[in-house]
Amino acid sequence: MKNLRLAARETQKRTTVTVADVEIGRDFVVIAGPCSVESEQQIMETARSVKAAGADMLRGGAFKPRTSPYAFQGMGLEGLKLLEKAKKETGLPIVTEVVDPRDVSWVAEFADLLQIGTRNMQNFSLLKEVGQTGRPVLLKRGMYSTLEEWLNCAEYILSEGNPNVILCERGIRTFENYTRNTLDLSAVPAIKELSHLPIIIDPTHSTGRVSLIASMSMAAVAAGADGMIVEVHHKPDEALCDADQALKPVEFADLMKRLRPLKSFLGDLP
Amino acid sequence: MKPDQIQRKMNKIDRELLVLLQERMGLALRAARFTEAAVGTDLETDMLARAERLNLDLIESTFTRKLLKTIAAESLRLQDESRTLVAFQGEHGAYGEVASRRLIPDGAYIPCLEFIDVFRGVEQAHFDLGVVPVENSLEGAVTQVNDLLTTTGLKVVGEVKVPVKHCLLACEATDYREVRQVYSHPQALAQCRNFLMRNKLEPHPYYDTAGAAKMLARENLRSAAAIASSLSAELYGLEIIKEGIEDSPANSTRFLLLAREPYAGEGEKTSIIFAVPHKAGRLFAVLQLFAEAGINLTRIASMPLRSDPGNYSFFLDFEGSEKDKEMAAVLKKVKALTIWLKFLGSYPADR
Repeated sequence: MKNLRLAARETQKRTTVTVADVEIGRDFVVIAGPCSVESEQQIMETARSVKAAGADMLRGGAFKPRTSPYAFQGMGLEGLKLLEKAKKETGLPIVTEVVDPRDVSWVAEFADLLQIGTRNMQNFSLLKEVGQTGRPVLLKRGMYSTLEEWLNCAEYILSEGNPNVILCERGIRTFENYTRNTLDLSAVPAIKELSHLPIIIDPTHSTGRVSLIASMSMAAVAAGADGMIVEVHHKPDEALCDADQALKPVEFADLMKRLRPLKSFLGDLP
Repeated sequence: MKPDQIQRKMNKIDRELLVLLQERMGLALRAARFTEAAVGTDLETDMLARAERLNLDLIESTFTRKLLKTIAAESLRLQDESRTLVAFQGEHGAYGEVASRRLIPDGAYIPCLEFIDVFRGVEQAHFDLGVVPVENSLEGAVTQVNDLLTTTGLKVVGEVKVPVKHCLLACEATDYREVRQVYSHPQALAQCRNFLMRNKLEPHPYYDTAGAAKMLARENLRSAAAIASSLSAELYGLEIIKEGIEDSPANSTRFLLLAREPYAGEGEKTSIIFAVPHKAGRLFAVLQLFAEAGINLTRIASMPLRSDPGNYSFFLDFEGSEKDKEMAAVLKKVKALTIWLKFLGSYPADR
C-alpha cells in the first residue's frame, strides 16, 4: 500500500465528511431511496416515507449504468430535477450516481453527494472529474476489486484536492450464487485499519435479497460501519429496476427502529 | 414531423401570439397618452390590403377583419380602464416587471429598452410611474440608475426588495451538455459567475435577462442558454435546466418606484443625494448630524460627479420622514454643510 499518500491512515485521526448538514464518520448515517427516479409520485412518496422513518439522506439514480443496453437508463436531467424537488420538500440531502465525465459538473449542481458505482470504480477520468468538483464522493467498491485497488481509486479523488471521500462496500463476486454478491463485512474493520476515510455498506446490492437486508444492516452497525445505503421503493413490485431487492417503506421503518438502539447499545459496551 | 411535435409547435406559436398581443396592447395604452388623435388612416383597411398582398391562402379576409376588429375593440376597452402605466427596463419577464407587479399589483407594465427611457417617459408623462433597480446585494450599485437619479427631477415614492432567483433556460430540445454560451444581462452573469465557471460556460452580455430568453426562443439556438427569471421561461416557452444558479442564496435587488410628484403620505424612509466641498472632515460632519440625531442610515453609496471629476456625490437612505419636524431640522443643518443637496423624497419602506 505504498502509494497511498493521502488515503492511508497514519495517525489516529479519522476523516469526517460533511454532506449538507449530515456528518459521515461520526454517527451511523442512513441513506435510503429507490434504485432510480421513475416518476414524480414515486420519488416524492418514497422520500416522504424514508424521511418519516428517520433516514438522513435520499438516494435515487438519474443516470443508470445498466448491464443491458436495453434496460431502463434513467430519467437524466428530469430525474435530477425531481430529486431537487424531493429535497426541497423533505430537507434530505441528495445522493445520486454519475456515470459520464461530461455530466459531472451538472450532476454536482443537483447532488449533495456524488456516487461512483461499482462498475465505474476504476474509471479514472471520471474519478479525476469528481475530484475536481470538490463535492463529497461516495466511492463504491468494484465488485472484483481488492481493498488496495479500491483505496488507490480513493487516492485519485483525494489527489485532485477533494478530501471528501466516503467508501462503500457493496459486495464482491464469489462463487456463491444464492446471494447476488457476497457482502465483505470484514472490509469495514480492515478499511478502518488501513485508511482514515469513513466507510458505509450497501446491504441491498450485495445480498440482492430483501430477506437478508435487515440482518446485514445490523451486522454492519456491529462491525463499526459509518452508515449504510439501502434501496426503498414505495411500490417495489412496480419498480423499473431491481424490483426484487428494494424494501417497502414499512420494512424500512421496522429496520430503522432496531438500528438506532443497537448503535447506542454498542456504544455502552465496555 | 410527428403529431406531438406538431402539437408542440402549434402551442409555441399560440404562446408567441399572446406575448405579441400583450406588447401590442401596451403600445395601445401608450398611444392613449398622446392627446393628438392618431393619423386618420383607416388601420383596418390598411391591414386588410397588406394581408391580401401577402397572399396568405389560409387567412381569409373575413377572418382578418374579424380578428382585427376584436383586437381593436379590446384595445379600446383597455384604454377606458385607465390603468396605471408602470415602466420598467427590459422585456416582459424581466426582474423589473417582477418588481413592478409587487409594487403596483393592478398596473399595466410597459417594457423600455434603456433606463433613460423609463426616466424620460415618466418625466414626460408618457408613463405614470417608473420602476428601476438601484442596488443588488451581490453586485452593488446600478451606476446608470444612480446617475439618472442625480440628473433627473423624479421623486422616489416607494421601494421593494425582490429576491433574485436566476434560472438557466434553454430551448426545448437542447441537451444541457451541448450548452456552451450563456446570454444574459451583465449583472445576472456576474451574479452567477461561479456557476458559469464550474460548468465551463461562456458568458455573453445581453441588454436584458428576459430579452436574452426571448432571443433564445426566437432564434431557437441549440448551443446556448439564457439566465433569466422563471416568469421568462413561461412567457417564452423555454425549459428550465437549473433553478437558483446565483452564487449566493441571499441574492436580492432593491427597486425604487419613481413618480413626478412626491409621495402624498408621511413615509418611513427617505433618500437624499449630496456633494460636499473638498475639505477635511466635511463628509464626517454630515454623517455626524445623523448619528447625533439617532437616525439609522440604511444605505451609503458614493459616485464620482460626472460634471466635476475628483469630486463625489453621496447617496444616503435613512429611516424616518422628511415631513417629521425633528428630521426637517437635521436636514436643514445638512443643507448648510453641502454644496449641493437633492431630496428624492420620503416613502413607505418595504419590510
